[in-house]
Formats: sequence, C-alpha cells, structure tokens
Amino acid sequence: MFKLTVSRLARGFGACLALGMIAQASAQGAAPAYPPYGPSIPVITNTEGPSGSYNQDLRREPPPNPWNEESIWNMKVEGFTDNQARPIYQPLIVNQDGREILYNGNLAGTAVNPLTGVSESNGTSIIDVTNVRKPKFLFHIPGPAPINGSFAAAGAQMVRVCGGNTLPNASANGTAGRWFLLRAFGNAGANESHQIWDVTDPAAPKFVTTVLSGLSNTHKSWWECDTGIAYLVAGAKSDGWQQSGSAQHIYIYDLSNPAKPVFIRQFGLVGQQPGAPVATALPCATAPSDTCYEGTTNPPSGVHGPISMGTTVDRVYMPYGVGASGVIQIDDRLKLINGCLTSGPGGNPSASVNCATRPTQADLLWPQVSWVTMNPENGGHSSMPIFNVPVPEEQTNFVDGTPQSKSLLFVSSEGTANNCFGQAPHDAWVLDISSETTPWSMATLNVPQFPGDFCGKGARFGAHAVTEAIYPPYYGKIISVSWFNAGVRIWDIRDPKNPKPIAYFIQAPTANTAASCSTINGVTNCFNATMNDYVEYDDRGYIYAADRAGTGVTILSLTGEARQAILPPSDR
Amino acid sequence: MRNKSMIVGAAAVLSCMAASAAHCEDGWSAKVAPLSERNLAQVTPGLSTKVQVQSLLGAPWRIVQFNDCGMSMPGQADETWDYRGKDAGGAYRLHIEFDDDGVATLVAKIPDHVAGGKGTAAKIAVPDSKMAMKM
Repeated sequence: MFKLTVSRLARGFGACLALGMIAQASAQGAAPAYPPYGPSIPVITNTEGPSGSYNQDLRREPPPNPWNEESIWNMKVEGFTDNQARPIYQPLIVNQDGREILYNGNLAGTAVNPLTGVSESNGTSIIDVTNVRKPKFLFHIPGPAPINGSFAAAGAQMVRVCGGNTLPNASANGTAGRWFLLRAFGNAGANESHQIWDVTDPAAPKFVTTVLSGLSNTHKSWWECDTGIAYLVAGAKSDGWQQSGSAQHIYIYDLSNPAKPVFIRQFGLVGQQPGAPVATALPCATAPSDTCYEGTTNPPSGVHGPISMGTTVDRVYMPYGVGASGVIQIDDRLKLINGCLTSGPGGNPSASVNCATRPTQADLLWPQVSWVTMNPENGGHSSMPIFNVPVPEEQTNFVDGTPQSKSLLFVSSEGTANNCFGQAPHDAWVLDISSETTPWSMATLNVPQFPGDFCGKGARFGAHAVTEAIYPPYYGKIISVSWFNAGVRIWDIRDPKNPKPIAYFIQAPTANTAASCSTINGVTNCFNATMNDYVEYDDRGYIYAADRAGTGVTILSLTGEARQAILPPSDR
Repeated sequence: MRNKSMIVGAAAVLSCMAASAAHCEDGWSAKVAPLSERNLAQVTPGLSTKVQVQSLLGAPWRIVQFNDCGMSMPGQADETWDYRGKDAGGAYRLHIEFDDDGVATLVAKIPDHVAGGKGTAAKIAVPDSKMAMKM
C-alpha cells in the first residue's frame, strides 16, 4: 500500500527541492496538490550517508535563555503579528490566488479589534502574510458570544480553507474562483456548530451556511479540497454516542458544494457507538467479541483531529484521547466514506440499516485497518503520516545496496497541566507503519525538562501538535512539533530511527502574554510564559509559531544546520 | 472610574483607528488605561463577582478562556480577565481568575517585564488543597 510508485508520487513535485522560499503555484491553480488540497505525495530522496546519524551528538541543543527572553537555534525570525492579543489554537496558511493568507482559529475570550474599535468575541483572524515582514490584519470574524456571561463555550479554534476551483463540480456548484472557510463555532456548550464562510475576499468574509449545529463539542476537522469530503469533529448529547474525555466523534460530510452540505455518516471507535454496552463491555484487545471496546477506557476517548491522506493513499489517520487513554486508528478511506452503502467502491454488503447514525460494531470495523492502544497516561493528539522515508543504513539490502525506506506515523500526546502538575511526560513518537496492520514504535521525540527548567517556568510543558502542512523540501527531512512553553521543536529525521534535534524557537513573553498562575507548596505565583500551540508551514517554507497565550504568531525560516538538513548535498 | 476608563479606552481606539492598520495592530498594546489603585484593592478573591469587578474597574482589556477539547484541564477552565495598568514600577497587567460561578478566585498584579521571567505572587481566595489542584 505504501510503496507508492514514483510516477504517482511525482505529480506536482516540480522543482521544489531548492529551498530558497520558492513560491509554489497556488492551491487554487494547477500544482502542487498535496493533502488536503490534492492527492499527490512528495517523493523523498535520501540525503544521508549510509552511516546515518552515527558519530553525531543527538542531544546537543544549546540551553535556552532566561524565561523572559527569546531563545532561538538554527532559525531566524522573519516576521510577526500580534493577532490582536487573542490566544491562538490553530494557524493555517493558504496560498489564495497568489496571496498568502494566515487564518488563525482562536481560543475563547474577547479582545478589542483595532480595525473596528469594538471588543469582539474571539473567532477567526485573517491576516495577509504575503510580505512576512509586514503582516496585515485584514479581518476578524467574531466567535460566539458568551453564554450567561461566561466564555467557557466560546472560541472558534479550528480552520480549514478550500479553493472553489479545487472542489469537485466547481462550475455546476458555482464555486469556481471562490474560496471557502470551514470553522468550528464554539468549543463545548449547548449549541456549538461548524460553519462555512466565503473568504474569496479575505478582508470581507461572508457567512455561507451552518453545516452542523446543536452540538455539545467541536474540534479539529479535516477537509479534502479535491473531493469535498470533510471529517468534522463534533458531538451532540442527542446523538447517543459515548466517549470518555472529549465527547466528540466524526461526522463525515460531502462539502463539494459548501452551500449545500450533504451528510454521509458518523464514525468512531468500537465501543463509542450508540447502544454499546458500556457497563458490561470488555476490551477488544484481550476479550474480542461483538460488544467490546477499543483502548484502555470504556467508553473509548473522543477523537481529536483526523488526517486524511486523500485518494492516492486512501487512508485516514485518527488520534483519540488527546492527552490520556489514547488510541491511534488507521482507516481505509473509501470504506470509511462509503461503508454505509451496500454496494460500490468501499461499500459494505452487510452494512446495517442505521449504519450512518447508529452503526453496529461490525459497521465500525469495516473501514478499520488497525489500531494501536497507547498507555493510559498518554493520548492521541496528532497522527501525521510521512510515506517512504529513506532509511540510510542498508541492512536489509546490504547485498545489493537497494535503497530502503519506511512509512512513518508521527504521533503526539498533549501536555495538559500547567507546571507539569500531576502528569506524566507527554512526548511524540515515530511509528513504523510500513506494515500498517502492525504499527510499531521506532523512536521517541522528546524535549528535556532541563536545562530550561520548563516545569518551573509556568504554563504547560509537553508535546502538543505535529505539523500537518506538506512542504516538499521539508517532507521526510524534518518534523516540527509544538511543545508549549518549550516552543517550536524541530528534528532532523533523515535517519528516522535516530531523530536529531536540530532547531528550536521559544517566543519571548510580551505585554500581551496571558499569565499562567499556579500554587506550588502553598505559594501562588503567576508567570508570563508563552505556549507554542501549533507550528505550521506555508508553501514558501516559512514556519509559523502560534502562541496559545495571546502573544501572536512569529514567522520563521531555517538557518544553519537545519537549513542544511533540507537541502540536497549538491546545494549545501 | 468606570466612565473614566471607558473614555480613555475610546480615545485609544479612535487614536488607533486614525493610524495605519499596521501601526494599529502592534501599537494597541501601548494604549493603557490607568487603573484606580483604590478600586483595584477592593477586588477580593473569594468574594468579588464579575459584575462587581466590572463596576469597579470597567470592562477588561481582554478575556481569555483556555478551555479546550471540551475537557477539564487542570486549572485552565477558569475565565481570566486582564486589565492593563501602570504604576511607579512600570506597566503591568491586572490578572483576575473567576470560577464557574463568576467569583474571583485569584488576583495578581503582574509586571509586563520581570527579570529572568520569574513568577509574581498572587492573592488567592483560600490557599487550600482545592486551589492547589487548580493548577
């Protein structure tokens, strides 16, 4: 499955290997088209010698500066936007007809919008970053108003954007030349929803429709632009689904025509479906039956955010649990989308009558390729695959020297407590999914607590999210993970069994940094600590570090060894 | 006091709107409405409600609520109100945390710049085990 042929993979690959901040064609245009914008997967060339990381110090990052200062290693600050002091959950950068637009999904709260002079409930920030040195804040789409004076249910944390020209049937659906934003509207409350906005003019967004409302939970969705299929993370008390922790599962929609959403089905782990006997079910791992549950907790933990690798790979990767009792699930995409049909590609001849809303265990198993149970103290936050990563050592092919590669899944848990209070370390891991029915751990990505003294620094310390954007020069060469108060962390993965820390950036706190307060040994203190929530790339190779504590977005590039790591040997 | 805060805030907004958008974006942080030390001292952890705090100090400069994933994350479900202030020690933020009932649980006056980034002491409602768990 993962030994994709070069001809299939090379589409759109073009001349992207030279870093040089090459502006690739717009996602709205011809190429490239990597998930979620299209089906292509970049080819990775081996740029390591056969000895890989041998004789290299794998723990040589310099110590960070004092907590109130910026710390940076093998990176350069190129630009900055303060995001109106709003705390960010997820940034997304889209090449929109040649303009680079940064969409920030913000956490709950309120702040004054200087463009309007009005205090607006945190929603979606839209910022033109075409010139990274002078980002221009274009618009803020407000989030939900507080309920009974409380912002606990508010925010609009998640964003996805598709170009109408990329969506199917653009002419018939009237989407040609337009751009659409999918966002969560509210986080956890009585009437949360997922919305579509027309952002063709990003300075003047227009509301299009509500895809799904009446929700009690929303989270991080995925939208395949070339097929229109959207995997919405949502939950409603009335839907009957059962989860521990985050009460959310998957609602699959066809958003080919964003104005007219078409519901396909709901999906989750075995044991989450309505009617599953939570009180009596036993774990599927040790007591498989037609009434078991997957994972270590019953009912299984909610999904965090699926990642589909589109029609070429035909797999969807789903992390469950967020920060505890995790499960990582690999699903057959076509069987997932069409599994409630009784015929056709991916169809299940034995699908139950109520498969789309109240599936049976057999309905849920139909698309499942495999699942991995994490230990209870870690959860699935991110699961981002990278296919056919060269392994520098020959070993298996020593006799003839044939290059070998592995397909990998980068998984992170989420550190959820300030000052590490009461929690086990939350790291990220490299899973070998070359045999996708038997994923197996290959390496750990971790950040040492010292010398940064990150547990004493205030705010959260631990892994959060793996970068999802596919930028070919970085693909299979480096991996970025947001690490809250330890900032952006980047590893050289060209020898994937021995990932090597190669760059980091810790943003300095400013007057906009929301304080984190904690009581330790009876003394309460507040700290100005930034928390890198997500790190994402644009299609020029710029790296965006978004701060959860309201300090803004720092735009970065790679320097030194980190830049060397992504270049072909001839260009170093 | 509330009216005075609103007037200063409105002036800042107008000033900001008159400037370029780029200046506005990064210049907003510099607009600080003075806080009355006397009113500030009346904000009492364990007693003051949101309504009372707003009556004393006006609308907050910013509200933050870190709740995420619909999960209960230790100490991060509290709504926090931030005010900007300035005194002899320089610019600071007044940071107030509220519980689910809308009662202040923690009040801290946090300098914008703290040498070494060390912590700033805060006043809390009751330094009991419940509070310690609210980290």
